[in-house]
Amino acid sequence: MELEEMKTIWGEMSAAIEKQKMLTDALIIRMTQADYRNKINKILIPEAVGSAVCFAAFLFILINLQKLDPWYLMVCGIMSSLIIILLPVLSVKAIYKMHSINIGGNNYKQSLLEYSKGKLQFVFVQKLTFYLGSLLILTLVPVMGKLIANADMFKVTRLWYCYVIMFPFFYWFATWVFKQYRKIIQGAENILKELEI
Amino acid sequence: MQHKEEFIKIIKENAGLIYKVTKVYTNSMEDEQDLYQEIVYQLWKSFSSFRNESKISTWMYRIALNTAIAHLNKEKKKGSHLPIDEWLMNKPDLNDTLKEEQVEILYSQIKKLDTIEKGIILLYLDGRSYDEIAGITGFSNTNIGTRLGRIKQKLITQIN
Repeated sequence: MELEEMKTIWGEMSAAIEKQKMLTDALIIRMTQADYRNKINKILIPEAVGSAVCFAAFLFILINLQKLDPWYLMVCGIMSSLIIILLPVLSVKAIYKMHSINIGGNNYKQSLLEYSKGKLQFVFVQKLTFYLGSLLILTLVPVMGKLIANADMFKVTRLWYCYVIMFPFFYWFATWVFKQYRKIIQGAENILKELEI
Repeated sequence: MQHKEEFIKIIKENAGLIYKVTKVYTNSMEDEQDLYQEIVYQLWKSFSSFRNESKISTWMYRIALNTAIAHLNKEKKKGSHLPIDEWLMNKPDLNDTLKEEQVEILYSQIKKLDTIEKGIILLYLDGRSYDEIAGITGFSNTNIGTRLGRIKQKLITQIN
């Protein structure tokens, strides 16, 4: 098929579409209404629930911070509360950034730039969230052990051994997860490179 | 009300434009519907700011292409479409199986191009001038020419 032939076929198809005129007024009006657009809510509801849970846990640790004794439990408590408050902020910010293309004001090039940069930032935040989340598991277990059961888990259990065993598994899992992101990063970087030409 | 009537008229007159954009940027019927509705919604949202400074088709292409890019970010989720039986998109009926096959081949080859190229070839095949393509995409005329040369070559190699 040569290019002129492609253009002719495309033209014939366009003419056929124009002839059909099957969109009704009612259908167009329904498309302009927001009622079918529950996609945003689908993203935001889990985010909102997650944020509320994180905030509640943050308050719980903060109120009981003085009960975390000795010092290493206090360190775990401070780290846990910082991570807990940081995680939802990062996540919501990345989602908003990724969906913040100025559809009405941008041209195609600008949208592609925003899209690619947003994608790269999103992957960066996902990676950061993954590390922070893993760190949170390590710090939160002894904190909750102390606050809920009043037990120093470093003394009453072999928590250190668990950490040592978990580390290789975590390393393998992180490598696997980040491999999945490589394709996304590559795609976004290719677009940015192409735009520079 | 008059505002809405005017909008409906414009959408009906340019429904093919939206159809072609959705077809190029999606890979499933469900996704196609989703993007089509999203484009109509975004056009409606920006309609009040359209001041006839450019051609209506130029404005529509710009919004439709931007929406298609924004749509690339969305997770594929079910349940947000109009019912399928109400879905009367302007699918081309060419009354010729061979032609329909050729159209499908053309679409499938365009879909293999990268995101930047898809938009440019779509505008070119739709008969837009270099000036218009430059206005919609933000690339310079020279850049459009260079890119089109590459895309044409790519398409011909892919198809033949």
